[in-house]
Amino acid sequence: MKSRTLWRWNPVSGEYESGPAPARHGSGEISAVQAFSNCTLLLMGGTGFVGKVFLAMILDRFPELRKLIVQVRRKKNVSGEQRFFSDILNSPPVRPTVERLGGADALRKKIEVLEGDLDEPLCGIDPERLEELKGKVDVVVNLAGVVDFDPPVNESFETNVYGTRHLIDLVRLLDTKLVHVSTCYVAGKRNGRISEETEILGYYPHRDSSPGETFSIETELDWYEQFVRETRESRESSPRPVRERLRDGGMNRADQWGWTNTYTYTKSIGEQMVAQTPGLTYSIVRPAIVESSLLFPFPGWNEGFTTSAPLVLMGGGGVKGWPVRKDGPLEIIPVDLVAQGILIVAAAVLCGKGKRVYHLASADENPIMLPRLVSFLGMNSRYKHKHKKEGNRLANAWKAYVETQVITVESLQARRSRLHRGLDIIHAALTLGKTVFGARKIDPYLKSLRDTRRQIRAQEITLDKFLPFMFHNSFVFETRNIREAASMLTDEDLKRICWNPETIDWADYWVNIHTKGIEKWIRPMFATSKKPAS
Amino acid sequence: MNKAAFYDLDGTLLSCNLVTMHAYYARNDRSLVKSVYQLTKVLLSVPLLFGLDLYSRSLFNVFSFRAYRGMHRDRLIGLADDLFEVTIKPSIFPQAKALIDCTRDLGYRNVLVTGTLDFTIRPIALHFGFDEIICNRLEFKNHVATGRVLSPLLAENEKARSIREYAQQEGIDLKQSCAFSDSSADVPMLSAVGHPVATNPTHRLRRIALRNEWPILELREESTFPPFLRPAKAL
Repeated sequence: MKSRTLWRWNPVSGEYESGPAPARHGSGEISAVQAFSNCTLLLMGGTGFVGKVFLAMILDRFPELRKLIVQVRRKKNVSGEQRFFSDILNSPPVRPTVERLGGADALRKKIEVLEGDLDEPLCGIDPERLEELKGKVDVVVNLAGVVDFDPPVNESFETNVYGTRHLIDLVRLLDTKLVHVSTCYVAGKRNGRISEETEILGYYPHRDSSPGETFSIETELDWYEQFVRETRESRESSPRPVRERLRDGGMNRADQWGWTNTYTYTKSIGEQMVAQTPGLTYSIVRPAIVESSLLFPFPGWNEGFTTSAPLVLMGGGGVKGWPVRKDGPLEIIPVDLVAQGILIVAAAVLCGKGKRVYHLASADENPIMLPRLVSFLGMNSRYKHKHKKEGNRLANAWKAYVETQVITVESLQARRSRLHRGLDIIHAALTLGKTVFGARKIDPYLKSLRDTRRQIRAQEITLDKFLPFMFHNSFVFETRNIREAASMLTDEDLKRICWNPETIDWADYWVNIHTKGIEKWIRPMFATSKKPAS
Repeated sequence: MNKAAFYDLDGTLLSCNLVTMHAYYARNDRSLVKSVYQLTKVLLSVPLLFGLDLYSRSLFNVFSFRAYRGMHRDRLIGLADDLFEVTIKPSIFPQAKALIDCTRDLGYRNVLVTGTLDFTIRPIALHFGFDEIICNRLEFKNHVATGRVLSPLLAENEKARSIREYAQQEGIDLKQSCAFSDSSADVPMLSAVGHPVATNPTHRLRRIALRNEWPILELREESTFPPFLRPAKAL
């Protein structure tokens, strides 16, 4: 469905503007078409959310590419090659492109699958293959990483820290260039505008408030080795499971330096490893929160739970009080823009014009403020609960007609304790009822109370995970470097890829693309992943 | 594709009433107190709108769009799906979908040409599977509706002009195309195509249609489609 009009929405000023969009022109200092033609690109971590969109995008936009080598991890009995051709090429975001290009068999000439694992030295690649590849790879794009916010610290370290070390060794052995994808949130607990020019090496977020300390990779690695060893050795003496203690250990260490979680802490160490390698040509790409695609491969593609998906699902479930900053933006960026950003950076690196750090974020030019998102969540809940057939009718009406509210963390805590006290009273009443009316009559109610409590607790945990990005801190990531790189492309490149978050119509994106994408792609996964628990 | 089917919306495919639509937005304001206030305003405006409609259609339009003044665009977009489910879907005429499917099967490009606003149209267009929409847009200042419509206001002659322009840009033969409308205001649009169809016509349009020997179609009940639409599907 197309709409024919002379008017164009300008999301920044909030007005319609007349006439067609001004044509984009570049200075032509970087030519992506030229850079990618006859180029061999090695893609690490091409199986993730961003990875698959990037893979589809480069195949779709740059047919000139000579060879694409994709690293895929072996999974139990399934070889990397098998996984790639049966799973990855058949996945929803990649399949449309593959079909357009003539099917998987037509791509076998262009794509080479490299079985490997970042957790092993030199990424676990067969030494013979390595010998063949030496000097033949033009650029390595690394999208691999453990993106869980608070995994046991060893899982995060193995991939995000040691994996990066193995990757650097590989890049040096192949004598090539590196585009390393990290995250904007390595900035940690900071506020305001975050520059791309801040020194990477020795960075820790609390530097301004406690400048006396020195952050070094070696100390962190020593701490990590010792901590994991001690935790595992004291398996018998401590009552808590090792996994949980490893999880807390990572979070505490991250917090001590000022990072929001284990993920951003380990990603920052990874970045610092890249930065301290002498003679390495690299660019670090830092996307903000990566969200549903805007246009490519189709509007609304989404995957995984490390986006705002849990929040959208909770909002649709009828959560009313949202602790967010009234004046803060949520730094989100559609996945297809991230893929285009990485392509632009890779082209810049290939042309020798790469900068150290590129933020891929939206709020610098076109911020979407948190209170607006809260009201979108409310309207979605209104729609869903009005047309909901099952469940308590009174509860549905409440969720449909009571609007979402922006609240503070203090009132959130107060609400929570009130709610739990209420549930305690109900529990007590039911237990008393059990002695009077017998277990047969009361047990179903007790069970449903237990389920409700479990659900509420899960929601609280999810909300707490997102608090650093919604309430405690308010960031705007500067994106000067990517804009500059995009303005250096040729006009032909700009027909294929561009960087234009300033044109995103957030209302349309959030309501018609993002929320519907999450309902379609994430909700079913969420439902099945919950089943074993209950 | 070199022929198109141009559709008017209101009264032709569905009977969506402006007052019920405004009442919907009033009912779904941010809080209950505001809702009651807004609903009172809508109820009070009913006699005024009724009188205006009898007096002048364009003045009626201006007034009806003024009701959006002060509304945030986020809300208009965010409530569009619910508005569709609650007030618009029940008012769709039983034969409307069959007619649109029929023109699509016959190779017409389905184009919706209506004075209704873009955010209201979206779910309707998706429901019917329109290929293209030409519609009105509200003017916004800093995301808030001013109560005016962006020019050119799509009505009467402007509709005919915009389908001529569309046909020229897309290489569509208007002689082979068809148009559907219920109102005599759309006579310029109907006259612009080779196969005009008076659909659920008003008395005035019925007279004009009979004079010009245009086929008359009723979508409110079981009816036969005009001869030029028959080869694909007989109903």
